[in-house]
Amino acid sequence: MSGKERLTPMQLDLLRELGNIGAGNATSALSVMLQDRKLEMVVPEVAILSLPETTTLIGGPEALVAGIYIVISGDVDGHMAFMMPIDSAQELVQSILGVESVEFDEMGRSVLEEVGNIVVTSYLNALAEMTSLVLIPSVPGLAIDMAGAIWSSILAGAEILDDYITVLKTDFSSERKQIEGHILLIPGTTGFDRFFKILLETDR
Amino acid sequence: MAEIFVNMGELKVAAGDDVLITVGLGSCVGVALYDPENKVGGMAHIFLAASRDGKSTEQPGKFADTAIPALLEAVVRAGGRRSLLVAKIAGGANLFPKLSQASLNVGMQNVAAVKEHLAAHKLPLRGEDVGGSIGRKMILYVESGKVMVQSIGSEPREI
Repeated sequence: MSGKERLTPMQLDLLRELGNIGAGNATSALSVMLQDRKLEMVVPEVAILSLPETTTLIGGPEALVAGIYIVISGDVDGHMAFMMPIDSAQELVQSILGVESVEFDEMGRSVLEEVGNIVVTSYLNALAEMTSLVLIPSVPGLAIDMAGAIWSSILAGAEILDDYITVLKTDFSSERKQIEGHILLIPGTTGFDRFFKILLETDR
Repeated sequence: MAEIFVNMGELKVAAGDDVLITVGLGSCVGVALYDPENKVGGMAHIFLAASRDGKSTEQPGKFADTAIPALLEAVVRAGGRRSLLVAKIAGGANLFPKLSQASLNVGMQNVAAVKEHLAAHKLPLRGEDVGGSIGRKMILYVESGKVMVQSIGSEPREI
């Protein structure tokens, strides 16, 4: 699954389609929470990269970001992350709570975790609905730290042994509230073939 | 002086007044291996404990079992004396303690594997800053052999 050679152009298209559907649902959930219709989603990209190359997906590795990490199990396994620059995370929590400033104490952190949880489960729900597969998200984990440390920990959690890693990435941004971030999905080593199979059948 | 950045899964060597830097160590472990007399050093940013079959052809720096011998060889090839080499390590954190069951604490496994492979190659470990739930940046000043570790919200510390 993670090998460069193992994905056909059709599978790449299907992954992109999955990203589109999942991220579309995730961004609309976020728009509702923010009461902001101007939330824009960039067309999802499927990146197949070597481990060092994946750092380019998340911007500067030293930047302070908030990252929410969820492990997917069930019919299909995988790893999902929702990452935002720290000022975006602040803006997000402020506009949800309707406050002028926010600190990442217990309260701020749990709001952020919950937002991440909703975004990720919205993404997964769209995929589950489309394929009738069972996708079970873990509890959300939150880290506020260097982007590189968060990202590498998520990749390590995915236990990628292959030389190349497949990542579905969607960027979103909101002009009005100056919030931006990425939703990332790392398909697991088993089970993703089921997605392909079901999607190919429904396409016909 | 050149600042040489070691990305996730990579290993690099430097000499003289060069500085080796790796950022974004989460569960990964940074290893600095240097010869203080000849002023030659190397750094690896290790991602996981063990490769699938004990070898990773494309990126030996990625796994503890392949990175330690590859780093040793690279530092010796660059002019380091094997008998003078010392190691320092940083990282191996668990950034998502709530998910530790799911991710089986990769950080601790990485630290244990790095220590095991350093010992197997008789490379003395002279300093460490590992564990916890914080990301780290590691800097090796090759000329002085000084190793600094930095985290967000705290002062740089020497190990």
